[in-house]
Amino acid sequence: MAEHQIDEAIRRIAQTPLSRRGFLYASGLSATAAFLAACSSGGGTSAAPSAASAAPGASAGPSFAVPAGIEKELFMYNWGDYVDPGNIETFKAAFGIEKFTYDTYASNDELLTKLQGGAVGQWDVSAPTAEFVPAMVEQGFLQKIDFAQVPNAKYIEAPFKGVWWDPKDEYQLPKDWGTTGITVRTKVVKEDVSSWKKFFEVAPKYSGRIVMVDSPGDVFVAPLKALGYSLNTKVASELEEARTMLLGIAPHVLALDSDQYNTKLETEEAVLGLTWTGGILELRDLPETADIQYIIPSDGTLYWLDTWVVLADAPHPIAAHAFLNFIHDPQIQAIETETNQYATANSEAKKFIDPALLADPALFVPDDVLARLEGAEDTSTDPLRLDIWEEFKSKIGQA
Amino acid sequence: MTTSSQAAPRSAVRPARSLRTGLLTGLLLLPASLWYLILLVAPLAIVVVMSFGNSSRIGGYEPAFTFTNYASALDPTRVSPFITSLILAATGTVLCLFAALPIAYFIATRAGPRKSLLIVLLVIPFWTSFLIRTYAWLTLLGPDGIAGFIGGIIGDSGFRILGTPVAVLIGVVYGYLPLMVFPIYVTLERMDRTLVEASKDLGAGRWATFRQITLPITLPGLITGSILVFIPLMGEYVIPAILGYGRVFLIGNQLVLQFLEARNWPEGAARAVLLILIMLVTVVLYLWFANRGRKTRDVSVL
Repeated sequence: MAEHQIDEAIRRIAQTPLSRRGFLYASGLSATAAFLAACSSGGGTSAAPSAASAAPGASAGPSFAVPAGIEKELFMYNWGDYVDPGNIETFKAAFGIEKFTYDTYASNDELLTKLQGGAVGQWDVSAPTAEFVPAMVEQGFLQKIDFAQVPNAKYIEAPFKGVWWDPKDEYQLPKDWGTTGITVRTKVVKEDVSSWKKFFEVAPKYSGRIVMVDSPGDVFVAPLKALGYSLNTKVASELEEARTMLLGIAPHVLALDSDQYNTKLETEEAVLGLTWTGGILELRDLPETADIQYIIPSDGTLYWLDTWVVLADAPHPIAAHAFLNFIHDPQIQAIETETNQYATANSEAKKFIDPALLADPALFVPDDVLARLEGAEDTSTDPLRLDIWEEFKSKIGQA
Repeated sequence: MTTSSQAAPRSAVRPARSLRTGLLTGLLLLPASLWYLILLVAPLAIVVVMSFGNSSRIGGYEPAFTFTNYASALDPTRVSPFITSLILAATGTVLCLFAALPIAYFIATRAGPRKSLLIVLLVIPFWTSFLIRTYAWLTLLGPDGIAGFIGGIIGDSGFRILGTPVAVLIGVVYGYLPLMVFPIYVTLERMDRTLVEASKDLGAGRWATFRQITLPITLPGLITGSILVFIPLMGEYVIPAILGYGRVFLIGNQLVLQFLEARNWPEGAARAVLLILIMLVTVVLYLWFANRGRKTRDVSVL
């Protein structure tokens, strides 16, 4: 099976389905991301087959009402590899879309930067993280969603309605949600790391084997929650305490990496991580990495929600709304969940999701854990946080 | 330039044509001038203007005239990336130089009929995306690759190359080597081989010939190559991010942080201006040293 070996080799380079916040800084390189992602799913990861098998399982198959006057194109600006490819094909076939463009960004900040740079009117649909929605509304980058065209929005669960980032539920439709937590290779790390506090205590012992996502909003969660503060705090004294903790851990950090952290944990290059769930859940299913554990810290952590939005001056508004409705069709949404391996806010879709996935506490969080989670506010332009982040970043691995 | 100098003697004879030649020259230079204005001067001006502005509350630019961005960029806690970048760029350039000179020399003088094949082989890596080639180094240098192999020999299972300056330097030399090889190759290719023979006839040894004949003739190529490697290296950020695991923090990474993460364009712009100034000074100093005592020869291959 030479072909399989080549696949395997490419997979070793590309390693995993790129996580949602895949990091390829330069947007010009996003085509490469797509390539790597394509290679990796060809390598036989668990996500692809499960998605494929879900489709025939839906024997009746959803039927779609095609709106009148729908355009033949749809331009999407999204995180890398964040919509099931099969669903895109289904959408194109069912709605007569001839050209489906999928451009990618690596961070919410990059999305905002592009729009501030004058790219408004270039795309129809995007998927910012919820706390970025108010800033996008304020700057006129979003249009109100016409929910008459999106009847499937009725399946959205109550906790995700009327949240501060969109109090009247006008501008966004929940996409996926998940948490930031601690990942441990229990084979190596025997200590208890069930909280951020313990994470910081244990860290020096595993110096040079700690990986963190390259995202200030997530990294700040660890010290602030360990200290018992709100993760959204802008109080200078609290942030200064967080600075001390972060600079204390910086020399022990192997890498800031939003894209390949799972690879580093897989090879045991890193044994302790501050990560998302993306790419980690798959590792649990492999025999040699079955000891990997994703922990939602007991002192609380952040939950993030990505949201579908329709951009202002969208060139194809009807297709955009059709897509939003399509993606929240329960059966389609179930495939999305199984592919992306993030929790869905769509109650009806849960009937179609693999029960094993549904029972996973790292994914569909139990209620008592849910109570300890905190949604993020957009703190990305807070000068003190930026100052701390920059200092932290320049001290990574510097003894 | 050449058009006008060639036209000059003719225009003395037939003045009527001088206007048309002038127009033609202008027309031919127009695309280049526009390119220069739109793609170089204008963006540079925007960056400079922005660097004196304020960051608006939601990120992005707000007009103002302030020096705070420069003050913050020159803050002692923030200058270390500048120094790291300078050291890394200088080391990378020197390593490229030492690696490229023998390659270029071999291809230009010893390769014979295989010359074109070797040149093509140098170009072939460019057919693959730079990013993918850098990712490939992750596997090569990783725990399952060279690092694991060396670790096995010295008996240290924790031996790592990735995430160290060495990994970044390997990536840098790999990525930028062709930019150094080609200019050197071109000068060596044009070198008059009889000069070497003459030198040997006059009793000079191999080393003396190399030092007194080959090296001075190659110097323009070396200078061009060094500048071609040094300048982009100063702004490099992909290689340190991937192979350096973000542990090697350069100006390029700082700029990405300011523009994309902090959305503080004015402060990013101030650092970009400082970076340009540093490069200007470095390159001018370098050219000045390289040209010292060689005033008679025109150096530029640029």
